[in-house]
Amino acid sequence: MSSIIETNHVLECEGLACPMPVIRTKKVMDAMQPGEVLEVRATDKGSVADLQSWAKRTGHQYIGLKEENGVFRHFIRKASDSEVKREVKFPQTISNDELLQKLAAGESVIVLDVREPAEYAFARIPGAVSIPLGQLEKRLDQLDPHKEYAVICRTGNRSDMACRILAEKGFAKLKNVLPGMSEWQGPTESN
Amino acid sequence: MANKKVAIIASSGGLETAYKALNIATAAAALDAQVAIFFTFEGLQIIHREAAKMLRLKPENAGMEEGLKKINVPSVSQLLELAKESGVRLIACQMTVDAMGLQKEHFIDGVEFAGAAAFLDFAFDAQITLNF
Repeated sequence: MSSIIETNHVLECEGLACPMPVIRTKKVMDAMQPGEVLEVRATDKGSVADLQSWAKRTGHQYIGLKEENGVFRHFIRKASDSEVKREVKFPQTISNDELLQKLAAGESVIVLDVREPAEYAFARIPGAVSIPLGQLEKRLDQLDPHKEYAVICRTGNRSDMACRILAEKGFAKLKNVLPGMSEWQGPTESN
Repeated sequence: MANKKVAIIASSGGLETAYKALNIATAAAALDAQVAIFFTFEGLQIIHREAAKMLRLKPENAGMEEGLKKINVPSVSQLLELAKESGVRLIACQMTVDAMGLQKEHFIDGVEFAGAAAFLDFAFDAQITLNF
């Protein structure tokens, strides 16, 4: 049984030898939109090291690997230019450490994780609520404007955008967590 | 890795050389490198229209034939198509083509014909040069 992790695209490379998984990944990623997530399914053992190297070299985010019944499931997110140059505009921010202290003290802050489902599946703050940035406006009814939210993503860009969207919708107690999950030192959970 | 260059010389024949050169070339192209392969002497077999008939494993590697099939390695012609699609330059050494009495028509489409200087012009700026 393979677990379900929602992605934008799935590339089936089962039964293909090196270098085919890398070549096909490159081709599919080139046609994807920035921020979208691809699952590459491969049986080539070399793909484990190769796709991580490929992602590192080409500047994309290697989210994680799941091995199930001899199939390597790679999750890769296409980088966007806006992440390279960090643009944080929302004034209310909180550092990773401050958030960790608040959570440890049992304060009633809700961690809202606006990364893609695959990123959330591999490592998240325990109890964090998942609403990917792209779905935020459609799923506002799942949030309460009177509660306090610490909005987090990988590096602070998407969460910045999310804070601005929520502030416009009347949310008053918002904090953008900086730098975000990329440097989170506290406990995490995964699927 | 936009400005990385990989310069490859394929100067031996056989299926082994074809795979060594083309696997590295296509993988490098997938890593956004610019790649050129200079085919010379027996290496010209790889881009010959009759490559499928000409490229054989060495007798000592005959045992690998089954293994290659089992792991489903792409055919040489598939790899050449992928290489061309991803912008790998396939350069046939004009001097050896002439010395072997071959014509452009003997080679697959998309091959450039040039001399050593044209290849070197590319290779001077390459971070990686390989000879197979």
